[in-house]
Amino acid sequence: MNSNLPLAFSPGRFRFYLLSLFTFFVSTSLYAQSVTGTVTDGEGKPVAGATITVKNTNRASLTTNMGAFTIAAGGTDVLVITHVGFIEQQISLAGKTSVSIRLIRNDKIQDEVIVTALGMRRQSRKLGYSATNVNPDEMVKNRTINMAESLEGRVAGLNITPPAAGAGSSNQIRLRGQVGFAGADNSPLIVLNGLPLDQGARNAEGAGQQRDRGDNLANINPDDIETMTVLKGSTAAALYGSRAARGAIIITTKSGQKNQGIGVDFTSSYTTSEALNFMDEIVQTEYGQGQSGIKFTTAGQIEANGQFGWGAKLDGLPTVNFDGVMRPYSAHPYQLFDYLQNGTNFTNTLGLSGGGSNGSFRTSFSSTDAKGIVPGNKYKRTIFNLGLNHNITKNLKLQLNVNYADEDYINPPQIGTQGDGVVNFFNRMPISTPIEAYNEHAINSVGAEWKTSGFLGTVNNPYYPLQKGQKYKEDRNRLLGTATLRYDITSWLYAQGRFNYDRGTNMAEWYALNGTGAAVLTNNDGTYRGNYNLDNTTTTDINAEFLVGGGKEFKKFSIDASFGGNTLRGEWKNMNQTSSNFTVQDLYSVPNGTVKTQAYNYNKSRINSLYGLAEFGWNRMIYLNFTGRNDWFSVLNPEYNNKFYPSVSGSFVFSELLKNQNWLTYGKFRASWAEVGSIAGVGPYEGVLAYSINQNLFNGQTLAGVNGTTAPNPLLQPFTVTEKELGLELRLFNNRLMLDVAAFEKVTTEQILDVVLSTASGYTGSKQNLASLKNSGLETLIEFKAVQGKDFNWVTSWNNAYLKTEVLEVGTPSGSRLLLYFNGTGNEFLGEIRYTEGLAMNQLYTKTYRKNAKGEIVVGNNGRLLESTGGPVGTGYFPVGSSIPKYTGGWNNTFNYKNLSVGILFDYKFGGTVLTSTLLNMTRQGHSKLSLQGREGGLIFPAVYESSGLPNTTAITVANNGLQTFYTDYRNLQIGDPFTYKSDFIKLRNISLAYNFTDLMKKVDFMKFVKGLTLSASCRNVAIIYKDLPGLDPEAIQSSGDIRAGYENSSLPTTRNYNLTLNVKF
Amino acid sequence: MKKIVNRLILFSTIFFFTACDKDFVQINTNPYAITAVDPAVLLAGAQRSHIGNWSAEHTIVQQFVTPYNTGANLGFNFNEDVDGVSTPKWDQSYANGPAPGATIKNIVQAMNVLGANSTRVNLMSMLRIWKAQTFMGLVDAYGDVPYFDAGKAVSDNIFYPKYDDDAAIYDDLYKELKAAIAALNPGGDFVSADLFYGTNAQTSTKTGNATEQVAKWKKLGNSLLLRLGMRYSKVNPSKAATIVAEAFAGGVMASNADNAYVKYDGTLYTQADNLVLRNFSQFNYAAEPFVNQLKSTSDPRGKFILANFADPGNVSAEPNPDVNLANMYGVPIGVTDAQITAAGSPYRGARAGGLNYSQMNVWRVASPAAPDFWVTYAQTSLLLAEAAKKGWIPGGDATAKTYYENGITADMVAYTFYPGTTPIPASEITAYINGAAVLYNPTDALKLINTQYWIVNLRNGTEAFANFRRTGFPTLNPNLFNNKLNGGFVRRLSYPDVEASANTTNYSAAAAAIGGDKLTVRVFWDIP
Repeated sequence: MNSNLPLAFSPGRFRFYLLSLFTFFVSTSLYAQSVTGTVTDGEGKPVAGATITVKNTNRASLTTNMGAFTIAAGGTDVLVITHVGFIEQQISLAGKTSVSIRLIRNDKIQDEVIVTALGMRRQSRKLGYSATNVNPDEMVKNRTINMAESLEGRVAGLNITPPAAGAGSSNQIRLRGQVGFAGADNSPLIVLNGLPLDQGARNAEGAGQQRDRGDNLANINPDDIETMTVLKGSTAAALYGSRAARGAIIITTKSGQKNQGIGVDFTSSYTTSEALNFMDEIVQTEYGQGQSGIKFTTAGQIEANGQFGWGAKLDGLPTVNFDGVMRPYSAHPYQLFDYLQNGTNFTNTLGLSGGGSNGSFRTSFSSTDAKGIVPGNKYKRTIFNLGLNHNITKNLKLQLNVNYADEDYINPPQIGTQGDGVVNFFNRMPISTPIEAYNEHAINSVGAEWKTSGFLGTVNNPYYPLQKGQKYKEDRNRLLGTATLRYDITSWLYAQGRFNYDRGTNMAEWYALNGTGAAVLTNNDGTYRGNYNLDNTTTTDINAEFLVGGGKEFKKFSIDASFGGNTLRGEWKNMNQTSSNFTVQDLYSVPNGTVKTQAYNYNKSRINSLYGLAEFGWNRMIYLNFTGRNDWFSVLNPEYNNKFYPSVSGSFVFSELLKNQNWLTYGKFRASWAEVGSIAGVGPYEGVLAYSINQNLFNGQTLAGVNGTTAPNPLLQPFTVTEKELGLELRLFNNRLMLDVAAFEKVTTEQILDVVLSTASGYTGSKQNLASLKNSGLETLIEFKAVQGKDFNWVTSWNNAYLKTEVLEVGTPSGSRLLLYFNGTGNEFLGEIRYTEGLAMNQLYTKTYRKNAKGEIVVGNNGRLLESTGGPVGTGYFPVGSSIPKYTGGWNNTFNYKNLSVGILFDYKFGGTVLTSTLLNMTRQGHSKLSLQGREGGLIFPAVYESSGLPNTTAITVANNGLQTFYTDYRNLQIGDPFTYKSDFIKLRNISLAYNFTDLMKKVDFMKFVKGLTLSASCRNVAIIYKDLPGLDPEAIQSSGDIRAGYENSSLPTTRNYNLTLNVKF
Repeated sequence: MKKIVNRLILFSTIFFFTACDKDFVQINTNPYAITAVDPAVLLAGAQRSHIGNWSAEHTIVQQFVTPYNTGANLGFNFNEDVDGVSTPKWDQSYANGPAPGATIKNIVQAMNVLGANSTRVNLMSMLRIWKAQTFMGLVDAYGDVPYFDAGKAVSDNIFYPKYDDDAAIYDDLYKELKAAIAALNPGGDFVSADLFYGTNAQTSTKTGNATEQVAKWKKLGNSLLLRLGMRYSKVNPSKAATIVAEAFAGGVMASNADNAYVKYDGTLYTQADNLVLRNFSQFNYAAEPFVNQLKSTSDPRGKFILANFADPGNVSAEPNPDVNLANMYGVPIGVTDAQITAAGSPYRGARAGGLNYSQMNVWRVASPAAPDFWVTYAQTSLLLAEAAKKGWIPGGDATAKTYYENGITADMVAYTFYPGTTPIPASEITAYINGAAVLYNPTDALKLINTQYWIVNLRNGTEAFANFRRTGFPTLNPNLFNNKLNGGFVRRLSYPDVEASANTTNYSAAAAAIGGDKLTVRVFWDIP
């Protein structure tokens, strides 16, 4: 194949392209002659990364860090040299084989182009709001399975929290705080090549849903990303109307470049991860299984009370275990980490791109094979991506993007809950039983789970499902396709039509084993226990839109205007089947069950929108921008089904007035106001009361009831978010120092809330428009090119976001609204989460020690704890802090020495609170260091008697379950004092090393066909430099949602990941 | 390509310039949802409800005990006020019961659908009677509760109902029962869906037409009226006498064929409270006072109630446990498992994965297939025995004795409704009735009658708890585990914690009105 292939692109030729892929490798003929040269800037410094193309061909090359290049050319060829920030140059070779080129800086360097709402590319100076470009290289270098995780700490105001939930799990993504109370979708809108997507986190939020099964960002391969823009504020996203309330992340994927020739890129990446263990901070290693200071002597006692570590001092003597076997009574702490394994992730991406004069394409295929740290947990993913640009005629352009992802979630770990789950088991079992015992005797004589304690059912041996054959498999397929046709009517006016197709299918299959969490296999009626479940969901979202836009300049004035419309049509179908009470043992299938349920669920919804924008500019200095959008919602009552969303923003490039100030390269002041909204949380048909009929006849009789426990509300309206923002952008000393500051205030009103009703109303909840809250903050980004040497340079940047949240109104007379309470979802052990007027969002509450008028802690006459009463909500619960951190940020450093590049990222979060149920459970069960107090000689709790005010002298001893009861009181009385911590941390998040071998390759003749070769290594979660929460990583939360914010319970440990990546381009 | 462009343009134009919310009503109508049902089927749903909890009411009246104070189990055996124990009665009555949901919500909805002028007078009366029964249980358990505003989130947007005075609720329940009974019309509608007496009821209670069904519901209504009247026996004896006489004159239940009960199959539909006994069996035991009562009288029901399992932690593996009454021992009240198993303890210690004590027989009376007995002839007879003894109905001691013996006999016969039982021979019943500790005598009549009422209501905790407070019988010793109850008994369940949090204003007013949301506060008819 000749690399001079004519690349005029048309659909008929596409097949030819594919054929080329196969022939490419076998026949790469090199051009006979070559030219070498160097590119420097005005000061004679080398310019790295400049593009050299041979005019009228598709031959291209890039300059090295030394500014050097080699390209196949000669004779009368003309070289075209381009680089961002410089004026394009052309040079005729006229027989020369060596050239040196000096590029001239472009004064318009400030005009960074940013992809904004609806995919419109705009000059940064025109924007009156905050929009941050993310360098896709960062995601590639600091590779994570879900690409969102690698953004943590990199963008001011973008708060990412990866829950420790297994391979392929979702991330919590919040832009400028949490826009609504829990229940609203608070993750930003993702727009992929113009296709709007919800993050769609399938997280572990409550009792019935304890496995995190990823989110939609997992469908995107970081190697495919061309640009990524974070639109932080409502104004930036205002054109998305009802979907803009939470900001937006705009992603475009690669579609090749014109006139670049055929190229192949291949990336291979291997990651291994290890669980980080901080348990030595809280686990006691002195006392073993037992109660009242005494070891158990029979297996029967252990079956009843084996969960307790209130036994004797460890003596290493043979002592009975739950399985009746005598083993030394000695310490085996942190066995969770013996159970866990190292995770791995092997990802390969092969990309093929090409471009001629009429169009370009890129296609890639990527496969990920990951193994989680919990044995049995796997994640597999295949992504196919195609991007294609084609000029059908001079004025008509087609762009096509297709992304197809196939994901398998296999046995995602159960977290954040009682029952099954490895963390819950090892954290709550005594340290004197070695892990081999659980492994050897997981299955009892009848084939059911061997009873290891009296908490069987809530604390289950993870070896049982591992050995008996567990199954939880979710197979997800998703096709995202976008076709855009753009017609340039005149040089200043265009019309564009776009069609987005988003289709997902999800097939989940799982079962509970016959004997899991029970020592028997059968039910009372003789059938086998357990259940088998199938769940199949198909979603189809279609977005169709049109846009007419244009721009013109009249001397000093400029005007841009667009008008468009969109329809979003969603359809959701779900079929599920459960089967239980099996006839045949160990057979998990639908026909084997004697009790079955089936359901077919369906819904359909639509949002229609019309929108427009107008922008006026004067003298490249002042810009004013207006947008408006009206949305109509099918899910709302026709009387209230539409809403108008306006925005106005402006920018003032004051550096235009100070052109003679050398120190000021660029300066812009910006201001904006927007009103956007959301109906997130309102599902189709929710305003209508429906009934449910029991699946099976009850003694021959049909039973019916009102469906669900949520009272339908037909009066719901979209909620509103009003945001104001002021910003300042400065580039000083010839771009050496860059500063971007944004201050914002965002008020959410008339939220759509899942309101907890009095159950006496007949319903446990209802959705209502209620309550308002405010997020305000200051985002700062400072970037400093500390060293700009010939071989060495160092860029350091610091981003910080300060976030203040305040609940303004909750719509209850008490001024406080309960979100979650002890035992509320069957998982929680400590405290409440409330929204309280005047306090920060996601306020955690616990009871505290009861105190007398003098402020002294009081106890009962029996020396036992007493809980607080009264307080701001009247129930003895007091606020102990918000789960939302006030300060988040990162300090990023990039060092380049010749071809070596080193990145070091620190990040931090400060000002949040966490309640640790792990420590509470370990304490009441006698496993924590805290529970050591009083083991010898008794505990006289430092307090005074409530009755007399005299100092407490009653010793609580371990005998007669005394200490156990004492510490259990913390749980039963909900006293949170010893279990409330700051979730603050500083982490050395990431170290990456990359070496670019391209130059070396150029020196070896037979390797010259290699256009680029980079080898990089990175380590993620290198170290926690500071934290307050003992025993755990404060980030190791169990859910990416907002309902269980600040509740820590049985989440997996964080992992440290080591990654090695090879990237080759031909 | 041109075609696609044209279509896109056409599509956009047609769509956007016709109407922006065209078809939205049709789009937002769920083609698969059930938006209308026969309200009779809602009544059937409401007849499954919450009848009283092993770990709540049965523990208070010392039939049952959980001696493990390990956290979640901590409850009335240790005089602790635990939300998870007090809440089920409330939640399952009002909002969130076993499928298809709670009684009050569904009854209110059914009444709304029927409308005030419905011609289905019998269905309406049944709904009213069943609603009254449910509220009587709530008042008995909690005192002041939301009544007039309850269940009206959808119909009247009352999300946070106020609480009503317990005595005022009882006054209205009386009116409702009277009116509903009076409205029952033998010539009116036959409610086939009725779980108690309708087409699919148990053979023993099934009826085939409105005349028979109305007769049964009249008896059910009057038996409830009798129950309601008896509640006044201490607080207002003359009112009690009047209501009891009215109820008696109206015609109360006269045989087991009148029983209002619901049978479970144990597979598709299970008595949910019993599942706990089986799945967490090592925590759950029979209480000593109850075991001693059965043992000391050689009660023929005992073998269906109690059992010794080889491994108390694994009862579901043992379908044929020891049921010999002589071998049964109940766990003493207010004692922890640690005390029981401590070296040298005076108690019976450990056995396999639990304690060396008797448990509820999970294959018989505590089976997931056990029926729920709501209102029975046995209960009614015993109440009449007391009424006769007190002279509120005619006949004096002689009639009281007859009612007393009828009540015992009816209950023993009703054990055939439990799974795996065999009929108790008449000879055993006679022997039992004539036993020294059981035989009716005028002096101990109230104690004897109400001790039997205690046994009869083994599976109706709400009723057992109410009657114990009303009469003071059986004679039980207060649980003195800690001093939280001032040496007394639990007199009521506490309101759900979520009420305090979500319905704060009304909750606080109610708590203040009853003298604090405490276990020791008494409902209005329960006076010292």
